[in-house]
Amino acid sequence: MPVANHHVEIERKPPSKPKTGGGGPGKIPHPRDFGGGDDGEPDRDENSDERAERQLIYRILMVVCIVAVAVVFIVLTAAYLYRRSIITWDQDKGDSFYLWRPLVLPYLQLWINSLVLLISSGTLELARRQMTKQNEFASMGIVPPAGRRELSWLTATFGLGLGFLGGQALVWNTLRHRGLFLHANASSSFFYAFTALHAAHLVGGLVALAWLIFRSWRPRRRDFRQVALQATGWYWHFMGILWLAIFALLHFTRK
Amino acid sequence: MSDPSPNPVQPSRASFLRRYLFSTDHKVIGRQYFFLSLVAALSGAWLSLLMRLHLAWPKLAIPFLGEIKPENYLGYLTIHGTVMVFFVLSTVPQNGFGTYFLPLQLGTNEMAFPRLNMIAFWTTLTSFLVLMSVFFVPGGASIAGWTQYAPLSVLASAGPGQALGTDLWLVSIGLFCLASVMSASSFIATTLKKRAPGMTWMRMPLTCWAWFITAILILLAFSILLVALVMLMSDRHAGTNFFVPGGLVVNGQPVQRGGGSPLLWQHLFWFFGHPEVYIAILPAMGITSHLLSNFARKPVFGYKAMVGATIAIGAMGFMVWGHHMFVSGMDPHVGFAFSALTTAIAVPSSIKVFNWLGTIYGGRIRFTTPMLFSVGFVSLFIAGGLTGPLLAQPALDEYLHDTYFVVGHFHLIMAMAGLFAVFAATHFWFPKMFGRLMNERLGRVHFWITFLGAYAIFIPMHLLGIAGHPRRYSELTGVQYVAVMAPWQRIITYAAIVTLAGQIVFLANLFWSMLKGPRAEANPWESTTLEWTLPSPTPEDGFGASATTVVRGAYEYGSKSDGEAGADYRMQNSP
Repeated sequence: MPVANHHVEIERKPPSKPKTGGGGPGKIPHPRDFGGGDDGEPDRDENSDERAERQLIYRILMVVCIVAVAVVFIVLTAAYLYRRSIITWDQDKGDSFYLWRPLVLPYLQLWINSLVLLISSGTLELARRQMTKQNEFASMGIVPPAGRRELSWLTATFGLGLGFLGGQALVWNTLRHRGLFLHANASSSFFYAFTALHAAHLVGGLVALAWLIFRSWRPRRRDFRQVALQATGWYWHFMGILWLAIFALLHFTRK
Repeated sequence: MSDPSPNPVQPSRASFLRRYLFSTDHKVIGRQYFFLSLVAALSGAWLSLLMRLHLAWPKLAIPFLGEIKPENYLGYLTIHGTVMVFFVLSTVPQNGFGTYFLPLQLGTNEMAFPRLNMIAFWTTLTSFLVLMSVFFVPGGASIAGWTQYAPLSVLASAGPGQALGTDLWLVSIGLFCLASVMSASSFIATTLKKRAPGMTWMRMPLTCWAWFITAILILLAFSILLVALVMLMSDRHAGTNFFVPGGLVVNGQPVQRGGGSPLLWQHLFWFFGHPEVYIAILPAMGITSHLLSNFARKPVFGYKAMVGATIAIGAMGFMVWGHHMFVSGMDPHVGFAFSALTTAIAVPSSIKVFNWLGTIYGGRIRFTTPMLFSVGFVSLFIAGGLTGPLLAQPALDEYLHDTYFVVGHFHLIMAMAGLFAVFAATHFWFPKMFGRLMNERLGRVHFWITFLGAYAIFIPMHLLGIAGHPRRYSELTGVQYVAVMAPWQRIITYAAIVTLAGQIVFLANLFWSMLKGPRAEANPWESTTLEWTLPSPTPEDGFGASATTVVRGAYEYGSKSDGEAGADYRMQNSP
C-alpha cells in the first residue's frame, strides 16, 4: 500500500496572526515574535505558531457559544412575538381583542442597569488592553513578567457585573410590589424569562471573570490568560449588546 | 512543524480511570459513544418489541411486567421514540463515528477541545440514565410521546407519568441538549482549524462535510429545544402559562390557569424537531456516499453537488417545520408555503440519491457487507423518501396525519435507513477501531434478515395508514374499522420479532469478532482516506509526530487513478 509517512516540505502559509484588537503597544517595533522566548513561564512548550492556532481555535469556540446563546434569545423573541399576536373573539363585545396585557417597565432602574453594564464592558476592554500591553512589554523584556495591572480593571468589571445583577433583582422587586409576579400574566412571564435567562448567562460570564481574576495572582500561562480574556471580552460585550436588544424589544413592543 | 502537537494520549502510567473512563482521547470517546448507543438501541428495540407484542396480542402478559396497560404502552412509546431519536440516531452517526474518525480523516491527532468532548460524553451518559430511570419512579414514563405536546405535558395531573416521569424526561433531554452543543462546538472548531496541510475543503471526505454541517445544525437546533424545555419546565413548576390555554378541565376539575398557547409549543418543538431529523440523517448520508464510492471503486459522482446538497438540506431543514402542523388549524396560505418548501427540499435529497446511483453505476462493485448495507440505505431512503412529498401535501396530510402512514414513512427513511448506515459504518470501520475484521457471512445473513424485515414491518403500515388506522393507540378493539386491521398488526409483529431476532446475529458477530475475529491489515478495504494510512487498530498516538500531507481529493478510485503497483486507487497523501 502506498503510504507516505515521511515529512514533506510544502508551501504552507503560516497561520495568520490573529489581530489582538488594538490597544497593543502601538508603533513600538518588536525584534522577536509576539511573546516569543521565555517570559518566565517554564511550563510553556509551544511556539508562536501553535499559540496563534490555539487563539484562533478558542475564538471559534467563543463564536460558537455566542451563536448558541443568540439562538436561545432569538427563539424566545419569536415565542414572545407569537404570543403577543394571539387574537381572540369576545362574544359579548362582538369584537376581537389581543390576549395581552402590556407591562409598564420601571425605566429609570432599567436605564441605570444598562449604564452599569455598558461601563463594565468599558472596564473589561481596558483590562484587556492593559494585559495585551503588559504581555508585549514582558516579551520584550522591558518589564518583569509578573505584573498584574489588569487585575484592578477585571475586578471593576466583576463588581459592575454584580451590580447589574443586583439592579435586576431590584427591578424584579419593583415588579413584584406591583403584583407582577412571574406567573401573573403572559407579558410578565416573558419579561422575567428574558431577564432571568440573560442574568443566568451573565453569571456564566462572571464565573469566567472570577477565574481570570483568580489566575491573575499567578504569573503563569500569561498567553493562555490573554486568549481567555479576549474570548471573555467578546462574550461580555455580547451580553451587553444582548441586554440592549432585550430592552429595546420590551420597550418597542410593550403595547 | 518542528514540535509535536500537544499529545492527547494519556501516558501509560495514567490510572485506569484516566485511560479508559475519563479519557480525552477522541478514539476512546468515540468508542464510548458507540457502546452507549448500542445499549440505547437495544433498550429502544426492547420497548418496540413490547409495543408490537401488545398490538398483536392485547391481553398478553409479559413475564415480570404483566399485562400491558394503556399507560404502559404510551410510556413505552414515548421512551422508545426519545431513546431512538436522541440516543441512537443523533448520537452514534455523529458523536460515535464522528468523534473517532473526524480527526483521523482530517489528518490530525485530536479534536479541538478534547476535554469538552469528554464532558459531553459523560453528560450524554447521565442524560441516558436519567431517561431510563422514568420506568422506576411513581407514575412511570410520560405518556405524551417524544413530542410532549402541551397542555398534556404541562399538567402533572393530566395523566399517568406526567408528574415525575415528565420532569425526569425534561431534565434528561435538557442535559442532552447541553452535551450535544458541547460536542458540536468541538466538531466545528476541529473542521475549521485542525485539518492537515493540503486538506482543503474540497478534498475533505464527504463524511467530514456531513459531520461539519450536522454540527452546525446541532448547535442551532438544540439551543432552540433548550429554550422550549426551559419554558415547559417553567410552566410546570413556576406557574407561568406559556403553553396552557384557558378552559381546560382535567379529571372533571376545571384548571384555573390560562392565557397560553399549546400551538406555541408545537412551533417551538418542531422548529427544533425538523432540523433534528436532518441531524439524524446527514451523517448517515455522508457515510453512504463514502462507502458507495469505496466499494464501487469509483469517485463520488458529483462531489461538489453532494456538498451543495448537504448544505442546502441543512439550511432548508429550518424552513419546513410547519409540515408537522398541517392539521393544527393554520392559515391555508401558510400551509401552502410550508408545503412548497417541503417539496422543494426533496430536490437536494434527490440530487444525493441520483448521485449515489451515479456513483455505483458502471463501478467494479465489491459486495462486501458494508456495501450491502450502504445499498440498503439507498433503497430504504428512496422508499421512505417517496412518501415524504405525499405527506407534504396538506390535503393529503389532513387525512394521513397521525395515522400509521406517517409511522411507516419516518421509520423507513430515518430509523431504518439511519440504522443501515450505522451497520455499514460499523462493518467498515471495525478493523480500524478494533483491529479485526467482522465476519462476512454473518454480516450477509444479518443484512438480508434486517433488509427484508424492515420492508416487511413498515410497508404494511402505509396500507394501514391509508385505511385510516390511527397511531399511538393502545387499544384497537373498541373501534370497528380499526379492529378489522388487527390481523395486519399481527403480521407486522411477526415480521418485527423475526427482524429483532436477526439482530442477535449482528451482536454475536460484533462481540465475537472483537475477541476472535481475523486480524486486519492497515487498509483492508483499499480505501483512500487518511485513517487507513494508520495501522489497525489505530495506534494510541494517531499520526504521532509525523505530519501527514494531503495531495489529492478523497475519492481517487478507478482505473484512471493509476495507483502504485497497478492498484486502482490512490491514497490522499501518497505523492
